[in-house]
Amino acid sequence: MEALRLEGLGKRYGRKPVLEGVSLAVRPGEVYALAGPNGSGKTTLIRLVTGLAFPTQGRALLLGEDVHKSPQARRHLGAVVEAPAAFYPYLTGRENLRMRAYLAGVKEEGRITEVLARLRLLAVADQKVGSYSLGQRQRLGLAAAILHRPRVLVLDEPTSGLDPEGVELVHGLLQELAREGVAVLLSTHHLQEVSAYAHKVGILGGGRLLDEVVLEGREVFRLEAHPLEGALALLKTLPQVASARMQGGAILFEGSPEVVLQALLKEGYRVQALGPQRFDLMAYYQERVKHA
Amino acid sequence: MLRLFVFELYKLFRLRSVGLGLLAAFLLPFLWALAPGLKEVYGLVLASGWQVVSLSLLAGMEFLFPFLVVMAASESLGSEVSQGTLKSLLLHPLPRTRLILAKLLSALLYPFVLLGVSFLGSLLAGLPHGLGGFYGGTGLGAGGFAGVGFLSAQEALGQLLSAHLLAGIVLLPLAALALLYATVFLSTTASALAAVATLLLMRLLVAFPALSPFLLTTYLDLHLRPQAAGLGLSLLLIYTLGFAFLAALVFERKDL
Repeated sequence: MEALRLEGLGKRYGRKPVLEGVSLAVRPGEVYALAGPNGSGKTTLIRLVTGLAFPTQGRALLLGEDVHKSPQARRHLGAVVEAPAAFYPYLTGRENLRMRAYLAGVKEEGRITEVLARLRLLAVADQKVGSYSLGQRQRLGLAAAILHRPRVLVLDEPTSGLDPEGVELVHGLLQELAREGVAVLLSTHHLQEVSAYAHKVGILGGGRLLDEVVLEGREVFRLEAHPLEGALALLKTLPQVASARMQGGAILFEGSPEVVLQALLKEGYRVQALGPQRFDLMAYYQERVKHA
Repeated sequence: MLRLFVFELYKLFRLRSVGLGLLAAFLLPFLWALAPGLKEVYGLVLASGWQVVSLSLLAGMEFLFPFLVVMAASESLGSEVSQGTLKSLLLHPLPRTRLILAKLLSALLYPFVLLGVSFLGSLLAGLPHGLGGFYGGTGLGAGGFAGVGFLSAQEALGQLLSAHLLAGIVLLPLAALALLYATVFLSTTASALAAVATLLLMRLLVAFPALSPFLLTTYLDLHLRPQAAGLGLSLLLIYTLGFAFLAALVFERKDL
């Protein structure tokens, strides 16, 4: 069963649609990154998934339970929906977590110390949150989100406001949690960073899920051939080619390079170069958003 | 639920408007006790410390206490929205109704704390005038401040406690109304203004005599007319419950 499943989720304010028919699924242990320009609907989607806002169409399921029908569905959820995460400034970090632990039904005091240590916040744990830096608050937000060992983690811009060390810490933690079986959905503008470990990237634009890129096990090849347009058209007809597109005077495709080479030579195309290409998520994203 | 209520209460008393309100409620009686124009405004020459207590109640209930209660109830939700903590609370498997109920209960307790602090401040401010029996009245019983003869300390205390209790009950629907508006607007200022505007509008409806007995504003001086407590208390309770129910209903489906 998917840990998180969105079925045709949509939201409109009056007549204006902000999000339309978004469907996606995140399996346990999978990291799903949501990318998109400002105003594409990422934050609205996060608010809908976490049950903070109500959809005008569709539903969001956390381990099979509708998050908008049963507040109990959120017992599986850990989330940070604001950057920096919000806390009571007059309480210490530890006291804030103690309150969260109570709300989440966590009874072990030791768990609070454990997550504080995991996010390297023990030194400031007994200081009032009002005196925390932006990065410390952001890390405390993540500590609060994982406090009750959630099975689904939803994060809006988790590395926003963090220094490089903090960014590395957060990415490391997310990879670790994913390995432990936690499903992670995060929104980000830092595609290069998350592409190192995300399994899927959803590209949002104009309130729609424009594309879903599977990064896990993805092998892309770069082909230089003449004439290029004809070669692209040929590749698109081959069932062994999953996708093919033009980029900077070459064709990038996914599929069997042997089949492609044979087909090109058979049709009389001049093949100048064919080899593996590291998938450039950023370039793909930019192109996808540009043509949305 | 008890722990949630205690936490909400703790947060309420951390609010700036509540801190300032309690300070004002405690200190203003000292000002009233020294005010030179009491005779012109209230026809009163202070004869007893008990009169300082009733004076503080009368002056406070004219506008200050209702306003402070409305501000506190509005801020109890509005401040959570502005500092972002409301979202954090609702990310947990906590039913929204339970959260708003905890907020409502703490907001409903506040008027009694406010009046209690005012009572305490008034007693201290009235000490120099004595807190024994005296010839005159508390302004809350027969004969007003002039009274109908000798009033024992026990009788004066009884009248004042009962008036403070009634005043506290009068303030309950105002707290519930402000919380209702806070769930609608998710803003302290907008909610407080809307609650005050509603009360002003209700006061205008006094021009419709058939409506008058059922208006909330008709009973805002119930502490001065304990004889009207029968219908008054029932209506105040109905208003409180009605506003609370609507607040829970609105909050249950509110986008954050």
